[in-house]
Amino acid sequence: MTRLHDLNFFIKLAFAFGLMTVAWFAPNWQLGVSFAILCLLGLWVTKVPKLKSYMKGAGLLTLMVIASWMVNLLLQGTSVIEALTISAKMASRLVATTALFYFVMETSSPGAILAACSAARLPAIVTLVLSLTFGIIPMLRDEFERIADAQRARGMEIDNVSIVKKLRFALARGVPLLVQAIRTAHAISFSLTLYGFDLSRKRTTWRDVGLLVEPRMSWKDKTQ
Amino acid sequence: MSFYSTQKLTLGFGASEPLLSDVTFELKSSHHLLICGATGSGKTTLMMALAGIIPKIMPNKNYAGQIALAGTPLSSLSSDALFSQIGFVAQTVEDQLWDLSVEDIIAFPLENRGVERSEIRVRVRDLMERLKLTELAGRRVLTLSGGERRMVVLAAALAPEPKILVLDEPTTGLDPAARQRLCTALAHAANTVDVVIVAEQDPIHLASITEHLAIISNGTLSQLQPLHTALNDTALWNDAGLLAPHRPARHSALQATGQELLTISKLRTKLTRASGCPVLDELDLTLCGGEVLGVIGRNGAGKTTLMRSILGLSAISSGNIALEGEAAEKWTTARRARSIAYVPQNMRQILFHMTLEEEVDFALAMGNNTESRDTILARYQLDHMGSLNPFALSARQQGQLGLACADASGAIIAIIDEPLLARDLEGRALLETFLNRMTQTGRAVMLVSHDLELVDDVSTRLAIVDDGHIPFDGTCREGWKSAAFGALNWPAPYKAVEEATS
Repeated sequence: MTRLHDLNFFIKLAFAFGLMTVAWFAPNWQLGVSFAILCLLGLWVTKVPKLKSYMKGAGLLTLMVIASWMVNLLLQGTSVIEALTISAKMASRLVATTALFYFVMETSSPGAILAACSAARLPAIVTLVLSLTFGIIPMLRDEFERIADAQRARGMEIDNVSIVKKLRFALARGVPLLVQAIRTAHAISFSLTLYGFDLSRKRTTWRDVGLLVEPRMSWKDKTQ
Repeated sequence: MSFYSTQKLTLGFGASEPLLSDVTFELKSSHHLLICGATGSGKTTLMMALAGIIPKIMPNKNYAGQIALAGTPLSSLSSDALFSQIGFVAQTVEDQLWDLSVEDIIAFPLENRGVERSEIRVRVRDLMERLKLTELAGRRVLTLSGGERRMVVLAAALAPEPKILVLDEPTTGLDPAARQRLCTALAHAANTVDVVIVAEQDPIHLASITEHLAIISNGTLSQLQPLHTALNDTALWNDAGLLAPHRPARHSALQATGQELLTISKLRTKLTRASGCPVLDELDLTLCGGEVLGVIGRNGAGKTTLMRSILGLSAISSGNIALEGEAAEKWTTARRARSIAYVPQNMRQILFHMTLEEEVDFALAMGNNTESRDTILARYQLDHMGSLNPFALSARQQGQLGLACADASGAIIAIIDEPLLARDLEGRALLETFLNRMTQTGRAVMLVSHDLELVDDVSTRLAIVDDGHIPFDGTCREGWKSAAFGALNWPAPYKAVEEATS
């Protein structure tokens, strides 16, 4: 199933938009929740990386959405059962949407996006914006985890502590993360200039691009 | 007629005195120039100017003078025309990388210039084969080691077949085998590249492919001179603040070792190789008070995983880790950090406070050191810098801060990963200050490095990591003659000096 990760970025994107539309037009909460669960199962079956972290985030999101809708609807005089069904429907839409785009983001490297855009002969600016938008989030998340490891290695007990302390230590990661984000932006802009990226020129790609995007160069087949 | 020339080049950052002034030299086609200078002498700034990055991409307040390529001033060329003729590898290669795969990075300059797919594939394949990067195919560059990243960036610089190649400390973090591949690649590139300019602190590694030398000292660049005769001139190197290539080997005196501080037995990691075997398997190692243990091994041998396992950052599936006799494998990373100080190659990864003072205070809070913050900062030449932001420091100063924090923590063990600050006289003295403080107080240091001369100079013991095991553990002198070292096929330290000057 991991071959699905190599699907062309635009096919993944179209697929995600299509399924998201289905989720948002689900007629009742039962179908909405079932569809959201199917999306989560899909992530598991397709072996999307770092699923555990996503599930934690999705769980938190679900609780927050349900809580906020419940408070809102109950204040307006809606019955508890009806408020619960509406909240569940809204939460299921969001879970399905985030799951679908998590799949796109997590399985599309900036290089694969660049290749798909270049093969489609898109303008250089579109190519750049798309690859940065989808590529930089996993990169910063990895950086966030690396900094957490560094904090542990310096003696900060960030795991076996209260949630308040955990949040405080997470905030302490903000400074190096910000520095890293600025460095990344600098590295990208520097390498674009140094390596001849020109907005007025359409790029080519080394990858074979069709329904799938070639993930790596193979040395088994020596033909070009 | 010269192919590449600089005329009265001046560089600086707006201070009263420029960083470098009156840099003038001429290179003919096929000339290879080595530029040496101590840390902070202006090497990187000069290399950026020689590559045209200053002032084309980065402004420089004191920029004056002229650089010409085949008679044409670089300033008159467009960015595209300039950088299609000049290939550049930065000292901090991370400045040239983002989250692309190995093939993407190498192909990037060609793709951006609209080169046909078939042509790109031929060049990428050729470079990956020549630089022995095929095993890294498909890997994202940010997951590679420092040395591997450098080789990928070199391949990207060679891909457009530039006329000039400017390399800033290209051997940093490379193991001896990778350095050899680098030399071979540069020798091969001579077919298409007219001029190669390399900056290094240690001239030996690239002596086989460069014939001219210029040294940065006292704010300017010396006249060009033949490299091979200069290698014997000890005063020349010492005056420039550099370790002389012909310095005698200096085996660290064997010291009486104290109690066992770290005991690793039958260690097996959860992390596995592509083959399914654990990265570390049935590994045994001890570290005693008063020791400096040099740890060497080829890239991918398991050195980093060993460090991470000791620190608690990489999970183990079986085996034991004991600190001062107490089982520590169940301890959290933070608890282990009270006994083990970690100084990584890239200090940016472990800094998270707003000032140097806060960083040292945090280390002092481990409670094992009663010295004052100012005493520690002064020891590592960081006094009067306490209120600065650690991220505003140079890489060298961050290395000094790493030693200061490790010292301040009072940890019984320090793990130092590739201390790049030790490549010139001043930096080496600071590292030795740290090592002496550790060993003389019954503590121990694990030094992981590809710099075999450094390992030979300062280590009291050597461990060779290979394929997840430690096939050699003993004195350095025995280690360089061991079968395990022979299997690496690396030149023994100081042997490279003899070969380069013979």
